[in-house]
Amino acid sequence: MLINIRKNLVKLIFNLCLVYSFIHFIFPSFALERDESWKDVLKKASGQTIYFHAWGGAKNINSYIKWAAGEVKKKYNITVKHVKVSDTANVVAKILSEKNVKKNNNGSVDLVWINGENFSLMKSNNLLLNEKWIFNLPNSKFLDFSNDPSLLNDFGIPTDGMEMPWGVSQLNFYYDTKYINSPPRSALELKNYIIKNKGRFTFPQPPDFVGTSFLKQILIELISDKKLLKLKYVTQQHERELNTLWQWLDEVTPHLWRSGKNYPSNYLAITELVAEREIDLGMAFNIAHASNSISEGKLSNSVRSYIHDKGTLANVHFVAIPYNSSNKAASKVFANFLISPEAQIKKQNKDFWGDPSVISINKLSQKWKNKFSTLSRGLATLTNEDLRMKLEEPHPSWVKVIEDKWIKKYGSSN
Amino acid sequence: MGTNFYGQLTKALVILIGTLVIVPIIFGFIGFFLPSFGYFPILGKSEFNLNYFHLSLNIAGISKSIILSLFTGLVSTLLALFFSQVILLYLFKTRAYNYIKVLISPLIALPHITMAIGLIFLFSPSGLFFRLISPWLTGFDRPPNIFIMPDEYGLFLILGLILKEIPFFILVSLSALQEFSAKKIFDLGKSLQNSNFSSWCILIFPLIYKKIRFVIFIVIAFTASVVDMSLILAPSTPSTLAIRILQTYQSSDADSLFIASNLALIQLFIIIILLLFWMILEKIVSYKLSFIFLMKILSFKTFFINKIVVFTSVILFLLSILGIISSLIWGFSANWYFPNFFPKSLTLDVFINFYNENKFIIFISIFISFIVSLISSLLTIIWVELIEFLQIKKIYLEWIIFIPLFTPQISFLIGLQSFIILFDFDSYLLPLIIIQLFYVIPYSFIILAPSLREIKKEIIIVATSLGKNRLQRLLSVKIPIVMSSLLTSFAIGMLVSFSLYTPVYFFGAGRITTLTVEALNLALSGSRQDLGVATLFQIIIPILILITVAYLSKKICKWRF
Repeated sequence: MLINIRKNLVKLIFNLCLVYSFIHFIFPSFALERDESWKDVLKKASGQTIYFHAWGGAKNINSYIKWAAGEVKKKYNITVKHVKVSDTANVVAKILSEKNVKKNNNGSVDLVWINGENFSLMKSNNLLLNEKWIFNLPNSKFLDFSNDPSLLNDFGIPTDGMEMPWGVSQLNFYYDTKYINSPPRSALELKNYIIKNKGRFTFPQPPDFVGTSFLKQILIELISDKKLLKLKYVTQQHERELNTLWQWLDEVTPHLWRSGKNYPSNYLAITELVAEREIDLGMAFNIAHASNSISEGKLSNSVRSYIHDKGTLANVHFVAIPYNSSNKAASKVFANFLISPEAQIKKQNKDFWGDPSVISINKLSQKWKNKFSTLSRGLATLTNEDLRMKLEEPHPSWVKVIEDKWIKKYGSSN
Repeated sequence: MGTNFYGQLTKALVILIGTLVIVPIIFGFIGFFLPSFGYFPILGKSEFNLNYFHLSLNIAGISKSIILSLFTGLVSTLLALFFSQVILLYLFKTRAYNYIKVLISPLIALPHITMAIGLIFLFSPSGLFFRLISPWLTGFDRPPNIFIMPDEYGLFLILGLILKEIPFFILVSLSALQEFSAKKIFDLGKSLQNSNFSSWCILIFPLIYKKIRFVIFIVIAFTASVVDMSLILAPSTPSTLAIRILQTYQSSDADSLFIASNLALIQLFIIIILLLFWMILEKIVSYKLSFIFLMKILSFKTFFINKIVVFTSVILFLLSILGIISSLIWGFSANWYFPNFFPKSLTLDVFINFYNENKFIIFISIFISFIVSLISSLLTIIWVELIEFLQIKKIYLEWIIFIPLFTPQISFLIGLQSFIILFDFDSYLLPLIIIQLFYVIPYSFIILAPSLREIKKEIIIVATSLGKNRLQRLLSVKIPIVMSSLLTSFAIGMLVSFSLYTPVYFFGAGRITTLTVEALNLALSGSRQDLGVATLFQIIIPILILITVAYLSKKICKWRF
């Protein structure tokens, strides 16, 4: 009988939690108590140091993180150390290995910049702090969760409040208008372009995330039934669906830069190649990348961005707290700062990063509304209208398959 | 009772230091050896099996990676050895011979990746070489669409490696040459109507070889498993085995640790195979008939071969210098687009920005190498003293400290990582310093220990008779006598530590970054200007270390025995 009571009690608590989080979900600004507990969080966080693992290849992003770290130091006395990561999969591997050796506290990662298959892997291995913490952050009131499903779905996987949206990305291409009149605007046109202009196109070597995204983009454009990509990849059913992609690559690869025997390591290396005119077309996930590079003096100011006619891959990127983070309170405070209007407007500013804000303008005060609306987009950045054609990410299970197959077919065959 | 007590204490200390050094080395092996057979109890796997050999040998393109590692390791060692001897032969008996050391020391002091970065700046399609001949000769107004580097056979990796190893072989050969009367032997050979070349090959080289054989083995092990240079100069589809191990180890696949450990074991096999092959080569060459045959080939049209060899040596030397110079220009360039041979304008901004953003990295790089080198020199002195106190003639186990140099870095580090995970270190600096010690102690030891042990007994006896105790003797007699070796060992220790990439990448875990790691990141993706500045610091700091030590040793070591 005792067991029964206990069982019921557990059930009751569970249900209460469910209702509680439901209320939070529906009314993000509800709950007086939140401010109270947030004070505790701030108190706990003060004087702490956290290690933020985030891709560290781009100077402007690194400087932005440095700035944000400086701000939370001033405001909340939290020290944020940016651990510059070259591939977020390595961070997942590290946390996984910590879990394996039962290092369940004091993990080496406090906060991680993440999305897509890495998130999916962390979620399925229970590597993330799972207490719907994102809804408890005061600044989450600026995010329009109820109207924008992409804020709570990462590559189609529900985030369950385990990761906080940080920014929005869309795959885009750029070219120098001085040398090229009209760039190719579909997978098919691109193929013809590459064959005609031998050695003047390449993409970052998968598993680099831009490189892999490019392959996904081509696949989406070529596949006959796009709905299949929403499903979990099953070898028996879906293997042949990839054939269109491999055919495209078979035709294109010999004509790539360095005959496809070597690839640049990431999208920044691509920028250098476009700047030196080794190749014609560049690609990035940050819609302001070309503008950024122009203002840094890296690309000529005749460079412009474009996307494919059918649209390009778009996704949201997030920050998440690992389950064994050594300092969850400070990580929350930093995440909260990252989605403040102050931090988001700076992020959207093309002179700093140019990554579009995730907060909803409608939820801001008039003062911030004005500030956001007067922000200039930059010379080579496409307008929202130009960018309206967005393609959804395939189910994360496709990523690994595409990467592995690509490596097998083209990445290890020379 | 006193002496007895001290005797016991010393013995205990010797055993303690010995254990502290040996245990991690052993675990460095066990740590990848056991998992490669599927045994790693912490992860709940405690059954031995050979599955992982099957899995790792079935990775796409792995055989190509293995062949690439074998090829680059063997060829680069052979070529570097060959050119080092040729250069010495031509400079031997010229006035330049006295200056070789000064000339090559900076080249030796530079980290490997600095040389690799120099090659990128020279040979990429938008590099200095094509700028030099464009557009007036080639008609290129944009970088040509040709595929030069990194080439699929690893030739550029070999080039990068030999640019670093030639000066190294020259240096060790020079010190070997000092140990016998090379000039007399050489003249003897000449008086017997041999050419310069054959006198060197028949009479001098075998003597040098005996003394540097050990070093050659280290170079083979290093070149066949190099990580940092491979990342920049090796082809990427697929890369060398060392890189494949790194990639596998870091991937988030469930079995990645086991497969990477297995590959690490295969990497060790590769080194062993290469060493065995080398020993067979030694046997073949030293076999009288084949030696004569080889000499016949080499002396055939000696004049022509001479010219080519000399020309190539000069080119190689120029390449290393030019690579460095073009890195420096990039560091100060503004608006340097193809095909301009020189930047339109120069600027200090990039340098200042880089310095401001990376002050801490620069500081920590110098700090770590200073601490590591200091500990390593101290340990060597203490060890030699303790052994002497115990009046042990020879310690057979001393060669164990050289094991990390013969083991592929990547394998050893994976092993150590599995070992270190057992301790719940909160610091990242401490493990990093400890791991670096394993790569620095061998050098401190090989430089410092012999000179400490060669101090004449008489001097010690005199000092003792003057009433000096052991500590006073050490501080006021022995150390001053070996001061120049001590300083050299300290400098080399710092240089070795400063240029380490893989240990920092592994154990710094991103939290501790040194300049070498940062430069490599920039080489893979950063702006060329930043890369130029990073390279500049990588050149300045080692050279400053060299100059400081040279200055100190002049100031301090006024008197010699």
